[in-house]
Amino acid sequence: MMDRRDFLKFCGLSLAVVLTESGCTIAKTSQARSPILWIDLSEDNYLTIYSNKSEMGQGIHTGLAMIVADELDFPWERVRILPAPVNNAYADPLFGIHLTGGSTSVRNMYGVLRLAGATMRHMLLLAASQRLNIPLSSLKAELGYIYYTQGKIPYGELVKEATQLNIPQHAPLKKESQFIYIGKGVPRIDSEVKINGEAVFGIDAHINNAVYATVVRAPLYGAKVERIDKTKAKTVKGFLDAFPLGERDKVAIVAESMGTLMKAKDSLQIQWSRDTTSYLDDDKLKTYFLDALQREGEVAEIVGKPEKVIKDSYIKTSSIYVLPYLYHAHLEPLSCCVDVKKDRCIIYTPVQAQSSVLSVAKKVSGLPEEKIHISTTYLGGGFGRKANVEFVEEALIISKTLSKPVKLIYTREEDVKYAKFRPMCAALMEGAIDERGKVVALNCKIAIHSISISAKSSVEGIADTLYQIPNFRVEYVNVKMPFDTWFWRSVGHSHNAFIMETFIDQLAKLAKKDPVSLRLELLKDERAKRVISYCAEKAGWGKKPKRGEAMGIAYHFSFGSHCAQAVEVSVDKKGKIRVDRAVCVMDIGPLVVHPDLARQQVEGGIIMGLSAALKERVSFKGGGVSSLNFDTYNILRIDEIPQEIEVYFLKSNARMGGVGEPPLPPIAPAIANALFWGYDKKITSLPI
Amino acid sequence: MSVKLKINGKEYKVDEHKDTPLLWVLRETLNLKGTKFGCGIGICGVCSVILNGEVIRSCITPLGEVENKNIITIEGIDKNHPVKRAWELAQVVQCGYCQPGQIVVAYNLLTKNPNPKREEIIQAFLGNLCRCGTYPRIIKAVELASKLMRGRA
Repeated sequence: MMDRRDFLKFCGLSLAVVLTESGCTIAKTSQARSPILWIDLSEDNYLTIYSNKSEMGQGIHTGLAMIVADELDFPWERVRILPAPVNNAYADPLFGIHLTGGSTSVRNMYGVLRLAGATMRHMLLLAASQRLNIPLSSLKAELGYIYYTQGKIPYGELVKEATQLNIPQHAPLKKESQFIYIGKGVPRIDSEVKINGEAVFGIDAHINNAVYATVVRAPLYGAKVERIDKTKAKTVKGFLDAFPLGERDKVAIVAESMGTLMKAKDSLQIQWSRDTTSYLDDDKLKTYFLDALQREGEVAEIVGKPEKVIKDSYIKTSSIYVLPYLYHAHLEPLSCCVDVKKDRCIIYTPVQAQSSVLSVAKKVSGLPEEKIHISTTYLGGGFGRKANVEFVEEALIISKTLSKPVKLIYTREEDVKYAKFRPMCAALMEGAIDERGKVVALNCKIAIHSISISAKSSVEGIADTLYQIPNFRVEYVNVKMPFDTWFWRSVGHSHNAFIMETFIDQLAKLAKKDPVSLRLELLKDERAKRVISYCAEKAGWGKKPKRGEAMGIAYHFSFGSHCAQAVEVSVDKKGKIRVDRAVCVMDIGPLVVHPDLARQQVEGGIIMGLSAALKERVSFKGGGVSSLNFDTYNILRIDEIPQEIEVYFLKSNARMGGVGEPPLPPIAPAIANALFWGYDKKITSLPI
Repeated sequence: MSVKLKINGKEYKVDEHKDTPLLWVLRETLNLKGTKFGCGIGICGVCSVILNGEVIRSCITPLGEVENKNIITIEGIDKNHPVKRAWELAQVVQCGYCQPGQIVVAYNLLTKNPNPKREEIIQAFLGNLCRCGTYPRIIKAVELASKLMRGRA
């Protein structure tokens, strides 16, 4: 595998994207002090891009590379992309750290990547113009060649001359009509290696002589290691050691191979303390959150006098919601390979948050940044989960303790116990309507186990709703638990869209209004109204469903994008719910960079959201998690997907929005709304 | 203890305990890392390989059970095989972690049943999870591969 020193041996025309006070710009690699990413054109005419964004399935490597290749006008089959090394200097321009998340990568990088490609193309044209003594206007750059009347020169042959030039101040960008890939698409750059089983994920990375390690966590939250009995484990040939980690709430086990490691794990006797929190039990948890709703919380938003209006109103309704903890269920368990030595530290890891890895590596190794080499592997699913890097810290500690390279692989059960779940919450929704059927007040109170580093996400999607309600209030109560919650694809929107969008339908019923009409009435935002109207039209709203028996619709705005979804649902005699058809309409701004990859994200978001709606809940028993593997934590299987998923993108002259997360939130409320109208079932808890 | 294995047409002799799961021998001893670890209880399908014409879960299959039998892993399916071409054309992969297992299932299904109905395709993939949600494209790719294999595309 390549290490960081090899990365920096550029062989051709190398440009870097750098961050300045006035924004991102392009510089020569030799002069770049804090590059975000590099682009290198070699003399044999290959383009290599070093990406600061993690590829976790969202197709970002393809997305970033195609934007550069389009402006450069370069053949796609000669484009390569590699993960950039990690250093705080290579931070994302918006986040200020090296992080992939929040459906932001293309949004943050689009403009500067175009400029990078265009700059490189212009430098090659200038070099050709000088060499041939032909004016720029008589030259054309196309698919890796500079064309002139008498012939053509491959870009690569001009690399040396182009490198001597200064960076042009205003390299002309293409017009939209000149795009060769943007808005059209290219084959995914990671398809081939993934199809052939050659892609290197965290679990595949290896350092010579590495020993294998796994971590066992306390079965009950709060329990501590009292005694580790290794007698039986020592009879397993290849078992090396077992010792407590962290605050003695977990144990590291080390062996020579995975086979022996698993055997040693099973024969190790760990005695845990019994001093635990017994309210971690499904039924008790529900009561605990409902009780928390009675407590006074923090007001996140207040407009008018909602409490008074609701109190005085004759036409009103209310609902209590309870939504569960969710597990990310990334199919690659947490894993990494590290080597901590006195003079350097090497890390191969599948993470979304490289800056966090760097900071734990500095802490554990005591080494300065330049002695720490971090390589990002492919991620076998991220969904937010792999922005938490405690597992890398564990591997580093084990490596340092044993003075050996360590390959850490979590078992599924321990991966679940690690507990970085999507927050559980309970909510009270109250709404009032006046005599003319106008929604005049809405009060939302949510008791939620907030993500400690992102309390704001507890109310996102409700507090900042686009619905115009004259008297409006949002309050939240932070519920504490002996473990943390974490970012899960679409974060707070994943629960709040459900609460808001199902309650809107309850208000529609109260007001005797059509749910589509009521939404259009409550919205001023033209983009929002357009996606809802278009979705209703494409779904055949008001007509007999094509495939299912009942139809429901939901709309949500998140990560800069508007998304409306309509579903057709049917319920069989056994009560099993099927989503037969889903129609999704999105407005993500002026451009869909790669329509088929965007569509993949919509399909994925709908399927993950559907899975959560119908099947998912982390279960607790007696103080610990009881749904520890895929036999008890069920996710959607292939026979449960909609037969038809229709996806439409509407263009608008707004800022570019995200596409990885926004398609997830509307699906669950759309299903619940179909059941509400078609089957008279009011769904206020999930899974359905 | 020496165990004889036949993998992707090649013979191997490995010095491993007969109760070691095949998965770890493939990945660590033989460096065939396309086969993945997901759940360890044979329920997610990312460790799928073909044993004498049947898809098995290598994470729960002890080495002793596969001795001298024919094993096919993702690395043993030709890079130009219609299944792999169809996977690329239908742009199936996202994170890609479950895909070797899915492709192994597709390959085995089409070997036995070159023209499967949609219901038969769904049936074949029931034991293979995908968190990214590539299921619709898996169905599409199997249908396409079937056409490619029968010379209809």
